[in-house]
Amino acid sequence: MTELATMDFHPRPQSGDAKPWAFPAPERGTLDNGLTVLRCHRPGQQVVAVEVLLDAPLDAEPAGLDGVATIMARAFSEGTDKHSAEEFAAELERAGATLDAHADHPGVRLSLEVPASRLAKGLNLIADALRAPAFADSEVERLVNNRLDEIPHELANPSRRAAKELSKELFPSDARMSRPRQGTEETVAAIDSAAVRGFYEKHVRPATATAVVVGDLTGIDLDALLGDTLGAWTGSSAEPRPVPPVTADDTGRVVIVDRPGAVQTQLLIGRVGPDRHDRVWPAQVLGTYCLGGTLTSRLDRVLREEKGYTYGVRAFGQVLRSAPDGTGAAMLAISGSVDTPNTGPALEDLWTVLRTLAAGGLTDAERDVAVQNLVGVAPLKYETAAAVASTLADQVEQHLPDDYQATLYRQLAATGTVEATAAAVNAFPVDRLVTVLVGDAAQIKAPVEALCIGEVSVVAAE
Amino acid sequence: MPMGHTATAQAGSGGLTATEHRLANGLRVVLSEDHLTPVAAVCLWYDVGSRHEVKGRTGLAHLFEHLMFQGSAQVKGNGHFELVQGAGGSLNGTTSFERTNYFETMPAHELELALWLEADRMGSLLAALDDESMENQRDVVKNERRQRYDNVPYGTAFEKLTALAYPEGHPYHHTPIGSMADLDAATLEDARAFFRTYYAPNNAVLSVVGDIDPEQTLAWVEKYFGSIPGHDGKPAPRDGSLPETIGEQLREVVEEEVPARALMAAYRLPHDGTRACDAADLALTVLGGGESSRLYNRLVRRDRTAVAAGFGLLRLAGAPSLGWLDVKTSGDVEVPVIETAIDEELARFAEEGPTAEEMERAQAQLEREWLDRLGTVAGRADELCRYAVLFGDPQLALTAVQRVLEITAEEVQEVAKARLRPDNRAVLVYEPTAPEAPADQDENEEAAR
Repeated sequence: MTELATMDFHPRPQSGDAKPWAFPAPERGTLDNGLTVLRCHRPGQQVVAVEVLLDAPLDAEPAGLDGVATIMARAFSEGTDKHSAEEFAAELERAGATLDAHADHPGVRLSLEVPASRLAKGLNLIADALRAPAFADSEVERLVNNRLDEIPHELANPSRRAAKELSKELFPSDARMSRPRQGTEETVAAIDSAAVRGFYEKHVRPATATAVVVGDLTGIDLDALLGDTLGAWTGSSAEPRPVPPVTADDTGRVVIVDRPGAVQTQLLIGRVGPDRHDRVWPAQVLGTYCLGGTLTSRLDRVLREEKGYTYGVRAFGQVLRSAPDGTGAAMLAISGSVDTPNTGPALEDLWTVLRTLAAGGLTDAERDVAVQNLVGVAPLKYETAAAVASTLADQVEQHLPDDYQATLYRQLAATGTVEATAAAVNAFPVDRLVTVLVGDAAQIKAPVEALCIGEVSVVAAE
Repeated sequence: MPMGHTATAQAGSGGLTATEHRLANGLRVVLSEDHLTPVAAVCLWYDVGSRHEVKGRTGLAHLFEHLMFQGSAQVKGNGHFELVQGAGGSLNGTTSFERTNYFETMPAHELELALWLEADRMGSLLAALDDESMENQRDVVKNERRQRYDNVPYGTAFEKLTALAYPEGHPYHHTPIGSMADLDAATLEDARAFFRTYYAPNNAVLSVVGDIDPEQTLAWVEKYFGSIPGHDGKPAPRDGSLPETIGEQLREVVEEEVPARALMAAYRLPHDGTRACDAADLALTVLGGGESSRLYNRLVRRDRTAVAAGFGLLRLAGAPSLGWLDVKTSGDVEVPVIETAIDEELARFAEEGPTAEEMERAQAQLEREWLDRLGTVAGRADELCRYAVLFGDPQLALTAVQRVLEITAEEVQEVAKARLRPDNRAVLVYEPTAPEAPADQDENEEAAR
């Protein structure tokens, strides 16, 4: 039953002439103290983004002190030689600034956002934090307790719980990547201010750090500003640090993290694959998008738009850690949540989508739409200073050239359907996927076993 | 033909300008030029939200929003998504208490496509709407509800607090996601009637912001939207007015499997669009808007009784706004300890008001948030629609930050004294229960006996 509309219809309009746009090229330099600086002027962006990367990776954390990098990152904003913790927070907010800091496998990253009119104040504060952090006993103790309080909240969150289990499954138990980035209750409890200071002294210095500054820099003498702030930070010269290789066991199997009574099952299906240094990356980005980049991709076309099993399932590739010699790795994964009774049917459909892709490949139309989206959205995606700064910082952290993103767009446009298919099929081989399901084992175990997608085991949620 | 409005930057607008126009069918159009990046944002606000829903049909406005992406006369199935994404655009829609918005951000040379798509569904959605998409999107929305609310700890807190803070029968008593029972009960005919009632050009505002030629844009808007008939079939929304304060402390204790005790509260605050609402925003920022706020300093830094503590403001135009307090306790700390500390801090604040430095900090924070909102074409387009739909004047979006900066410490103290009181709040307390025992563990226990 339909209804006749009463409006005048017109044919679908044609595109106008595209205006040129390119990913911005930063200007690279080095301060006298060895700090690498990338800067990029973005007219109209009144909130300036500053990212500082420290070569303090998680695998450098001392044994038994997982989480010390995280506590150090947080402690940067808890007082300096000029301000107490409360004063430091107040000064930041007085500048209209936000400062976030977090530790991940490649290193520690500080992200400052501040209105251009108060950039000097913001740079002063972040420079003080890096140059002379207080790391007061009492503040570190508070951060440790705070972190311990956070852990049960994370374990209760289905997607966080799934991520924790997948890391444990994929990586060898002696690899840092197998364990939670921010530590466990046992390791975090062992952290004190001496441990934080020890980690800082060993791994934080301007010679191995990079600052990225992006925004409307009209009328700002950035050299003078940097010289007075981050330029005043001193430290020893860089020492080369070996990067351990990433190994993972992607034998096809299923682990159910039991949450009795859960109304949905959180899925996280993953393995480890190449990072951006590999030539396959552009094709893998394209193929992964066709598989599960949006709600019109293959997975959601079935699981959401045909079956209604989910609010959305996504496939993605996320770099874990890169090395200059190209030995890095990325997590390749499919994630989403499906209602409990349909967990078996949803996984069956998901595997069918993967098998169909391997058997028949992508169509040229799928490839074309994906390229048009991935390349076409670039000017939208990089409208803000923060987005540009974040990508420039990722490139530095992953040992990629400053024009990597600009080059990637050209490579995507030149990637064909056959290459994209091959990359997607190699990225998600049906028998080499580790499936983590956070859900009600009593309801989902038997239907999942019946799918024969690997041995099924059940672990307790906590 | 549309009436122009001169594009002259007002004081405090950061140099941004907007022009206003109205088609003969009643569609209001707001245009704002910005040629820095070759992108254009299209935003369409329909003046309908969950407050327009009736008993037994909660969640219908949001379910309907999903149906708007299921095709129209000239757009097949998921074509709206496919065409926008294939043109290098991004898009979505959202539903709140007071409005439903749809937006596309496009490379500038694809703007016309977005206008064509929005017009097609505004004028001809019912030509494509069928049982199949209704049943499918009903399941999708129920899974959205499970994923975002039912399957996460504290996920239904907002729904519970809203139900406490706005009395039974009040249009804001229920939240936009709706109840499972009502989502199950909604029929295709409900959806059709909803469209016929609320999706008319004279119940919408369209904004287009970015690298645009205003004259050409307006000609396209006239071409695609101009023939869609307007109508006066929309009933007046139910009255959302309430006394300025609740008059008593409302309270609910939830025993649930959550990781820690929590204290949440909703304070009844002035309507959006008033100076008093801006003053309340500043009060909540000083009290709980960051890591230098009074509550954070007291509970997280000094007493060390909480893992997180903060205040947020839900601005509402058709009913009193909500000041939203959220504290998660640390370790074994009991809720009364937290509650006493909060009451002390709120009473002290009402007594002494903010310091000059606190005002400076709070205003700087809110200013940066505004710069962020207006820093993208999509953010600007959304704010222009918001002020046009809720307050009748899109230009107010461009001077909003100036109004926040003009609020005085006395006004902040006044609103805190009048509103941030124990007898003007609904309180929600979470007490954790032990997890449900896994089934196989029960079996083991049986066997052991």
